Amino acid sequence: MEKRNVESGTRGRARRRQSERIRSMASSQQEQVLVEATSFTRILTLNRTKQLNALSFEMVSRLLQLFLAYENDPNVKLVIVKGKGRAFCAGGDVAAVVRDIKRDGWRAGANFFSKEFTLNYLMATYSKPQVSILDGIVMGGGAGVSVHGRFRIATENSVFAMPETALGLFPDVGASYYLSRLPGFFGEYVGLTGSRLDGAEMLACGLATHFVPSAKLPMLEAALSVVDSSDPVMISSIIDQFCEQPSLKEQSVYNRLDVIDRCFSRRTVEDILSALEMEIVGRNDAWISATIQTLKKASPTSLKISLRSIREGRLQGVGQCLVREYRMVCHVMQGEVSKDFFEGCRAILLDKDKNPKWEPSKLELVTDSMVDVYFSKVDDEEWEDLKLPTRSKYNLSAYAIAKL
Amino acid sequence: MDRAIRRTKILADHLLQVQSSDSSSTDQTPSLSSNVCLSYSPPELSEDYAFDIKEMRKLIDGHHVEERDWLFGMMRQSKLFNPRERGGKVFVTPDYNQSMEQQREMTWKRIQYLTERGVFKGWLTERGEEAEMRRFAFFEVLGIYDHSIAIKLGVHFFLWGGAIQFFGTKHHHDKWLRDTENYLIKGCFAMTELGHGSNVRGIETVTTYDSNTSEFVINTPCESAQKYWIGGAAKHATHTVVFSQLNINGTNQGVHAFIAQIRDADGNICPNIRIADCGHKIGLNGVDNGRIWFDNVRVPRENLLNSVADVSADGKYLSSIKDPDQRFAAFLAPLTAGRVNIAVSAVYQSKVGLAIAIRYALTRRAFSVKPNEPEVLLLDYPSHQRRLLPLVAKTYAMSFAANYLKMLFLKRTPQSNKTIHVVSSSFKAIFTWNNMQILQECREACGGQGLKTENRIGHLKGEYDVQSTFEGDNNILMQQVSKALLAEYLAAQKKNKAFKGLGLEHMNKPCPVIPSQLTSATLRCSQFQMDALCLRERDLLNRFVVDVSRHQANGETKEHAVIMSYQLAEDLGRAFSDRAIFQTFVDAEATLAAGSLKDVLSLLRSLYALICLEDVAFLRYGYLSLENAASVRREITKICSELRPHALALVGSYGIPDAFLSPIAFDWIDANSWSSVQQ
Repeated sequence: MEKRNVESGTRGRARRRQSERIRSMASSQQEQVLVEATSFTRILTLNRTKQLNALSFEMVSRLLQLFLAYENDPNVKLVIVKGKGRAFCAGGDVAAVVRDIKRDGWRAGANFFSKEFTLNYLMATYSKPQVSILDGIVMGGGAGVSVHGRFRIATENSVFAMPETALGLFPDVGASYYLSRLPGFFGEYVGLTGSRLDGAEMLACGLATHFVPSAKLPMLEAALSVVDSSDPVMISSIIDQFCEQPSLKEQSVYNRLDVIDRCFSRRTVEDILSALEMEIVGRNDAWISATIQTLKKASPTSLKISLRSIREGRLQGVGQCLVREYRMVCHVMQGEVSKDFFEGCRAILLDKDKNPKWEPSKLELVTDSMVDVYFSKVDDEEWEDLKLPTRSKYNLSAYAIAKL
Repeated sequence: MDRAIRRTKILADHLLQVQSSDSSSTDQTPSLSSNVCLSYSPPELSEDYAFDIKEMRKLIDGHHVEERDWLFGMMRQSKLFNPRERGGKVFVTPDYNQSMEQQREMTWKRIQYLTERGVFKGWLTERGEEAEMRRFAFFEVLGIYDHSIAIKLGVHFFLWGGAIQFFGTKHHHDKWLRDTENYLIKGCFAMTELGHGSNVRGIETVTTYDSNTSEFVINTPCESAQKYWIGGAAKHATHTVVFSQLNINGTNQGVHAFIAQIRDADGNICPNIRIADCGHKIGLNGVDNGRIWFDNVRVPRENLLNSVADVSADGKYLSSIKDPDQRFAAFLAPLTAGRVNIAVSAVYQSKVGLAIAIRYALTRRAFSVKPNEPEVLLLDYPSHQRRLLPLVAKTYAMSFAANYLKMLFLKRTPQSNKTIHVVSSSFKAIFTWNNMQILQECREACGGQGLKTENRIGHLKGEYDVQSTFEGDNNILMQQVSKALLAEYLAAQKKNKAFKGLGLEHMNKPCPVIPSQLTSATLRCSQFQMDALCLRERDLLNRFVVDVSRHQANGETKEHAVIMSYQLAEDLGRAFSDRAIFQTFVDAEATLAAGSLKDVLSLLRSLYALICLEDVAFLRYGYLSLENAASVRREITKICSELRPHALALVGSYGIPDAFLSPIAFDWIDANSWSSVQQ
């Protein structure tokens, strides 16, 4: 529940602040992403601290522009992305998107997601290493601008979550690619429940590649600022010098992988729930009970499309994942099957009554053919599938090629 | 002329290449450096998709696409399925470098894992189209991972479970099916003997009835009567269905099926049972094939699977089917399900082989045409296209035929038994032969890389070779096809009635005529293609009938006459199969609205038809003139070059996830790099 407070606060404020900003200054986008340059390293700092660095359209556009420029700039060997303040990035600025949709129709939202997903794809297939320093909250869209990159550094302050199913959305930003590739069925668990992970858990499951105590981050940054090579082995060995091996808390969900695998591997959301319920027949297990409660509170439509998205994503390349997620998010915004996204934003971000009225209200009312709609092309003459940026076949790293 | 076109195409390709590297001149890596060393260039980035791959996959997989992907994902995510990282990607295939014992243990652990996760739920206890088709889909997916796991499951569910379903009655169903589905017991199927395989009626195991104790006594009277190749018997199975002659009061009532326990729950072999291992094999080492001897094993009277015949408590033989031939036919019915599974799974192995070989051919270069020019992609050589693309067309044809066969089986009635028997025999033989041929071609097309077990293709040959033998030797199955056609002919002649069924209705129409000049348009016309295939079938059937009656006129028995006419019989069997498969292709195409999907399918359909027309029978019996045959050959080359741009999408539509292909299908340079050695 604390999670929702953080987000709703963020997004509510984000909404108000952002509209002021757009009106007041055109130069705001420069400020929302701070750029520092050393000889071969660029440090990009997400800078909307009051909104916990939630991604505005301007930020996404600016990041895309910078990443495109750096790819062709021989003087850039390494890109560092970090956040100012206590968050790395709390997600996409969903409240602003909802406001835009209400004002200008769902296409306005499509614009945002198209740009955001393009950025995600560029990062996933980037020819130079990206180091993301995740010293704080990393949620939703924040994961999208970090997890796809080569190196992700967790700290004792890291808090990771994909909380979309509580909001009537689904884990997007390429999450169906990276969640589905976590060990066993941990990705289904993280994606469906929105469970929060700490730095040690992020490292254990592979969402983070390194763990560095936050006190050592300035030294790490200094060391990375003087690299003159894009060689991932070299960069990794620099980071290694500051690494520590964190230990998982005794209560960590990562110690429950056996239950997660048994239950979240099931074919349908209903099967997952009944497998969880079977686990606590005749015994108490607070964590399992809480997990069941979380699932029952989430949007039934969101759960079903999220599960299917992760399952399809497991067998697809990152580009295919993003193209599919873009179709899905357009259907979500169109609201022809369910308007849960708007209801979720109302209940969590706007009215903050935390009591969304999902429609359809139960899992069994969400039929296969309703789910199918989210995965189909959008029936609109002007609509187009997401056009991924062309990637040159001559300078892709093996790391990027493997994701195609 | 061909040569000129080829040269132009190669040159054009090179010019295009130079252009694309120019356009990326702003890249950090200068284009020049790609001439210094080879770099892997993902085909996804250079090949266009002209049609919707997802739609195509739906069409050729036919059903349960989402469920298939769930099961693929289930295996990919489990350590039990031996995931290995190569070139940044995860691949799952069994470790075939393990000992036979280890492979058997792993196969069994994988089955337990899948059982716990509900994969086999309803496999024996649910009926109906949805349940049966889902079972087919899951079985196909499991076969793509490993033949051993598929066969181990096939024996337990389809042979043991199927025998209880088909030969047993309600109390057998109640007693065994649920426990079988939950693997509380492990079943096997003891039919084949050392001395008798295809000729089941000749088996020598003998069962008698003891009315004093109301027990059957099963005995292996001689070494040639030992049960042989019994999957599951060597290690895991607790129960078996035993096929045996039933001798009641000195009268042999023919082959019957009994349930016998062979191990207790702790895995100890039961008294009066002897079991030996069949040993290491060229494939399928994850299956514990064994040999069984029965030393007057006593089983209760109700262990006779009595749907066809029963023995009363006082030892009287009772059967609703009086004719022993028909009784025997009823016993063989469950083998049809096995043949359907085998046929379909053969197609998927061909798809695995082709997906790997085509992807490799789209990334591997060999030889420059001119000095200092980049080497040419394998698939840009017309010869390489000619080797692989017709095989792709074959997999499409076989997919449609397989879907037809599944539906035929699903909607089976007593009246359709004959059709199912003939079609499943034909498709099983043809698909499994095709599969071996396709895998061999793919293996060679991958050069040395095809020899590595991790690249799957070469190894699959050993794993799937058995398909041409089990559930009916291919040659014998094809003889049954031609015999059935002969019977149809004689029946029609005798009753002076039109042909009906088995697709022979074309025999009632006037004989098609092949034009003396074959234009490209004619060669691509489905009516012409069908005419040509019907012409061959009709003529061969006529010739076969004439040849058999000629032998009979010389005083030979009909059986001997058929044996003597084996060459025509073989050609006829092939002709029937090609025509029946082609028909399913035409039908599938007809369901589509005009568009890119249909366009590419019609190219594939023509390619498939024309490679059928390359069968030597068309020249041997003069259906095509030499000139016609040359036109066919020329057209094949042309269609291959037209299909070349679709190659990646065509194998992508197979729907086999990357993890189930192999390292050479992806970044094989990184997969073989020094840094990957050090990992």
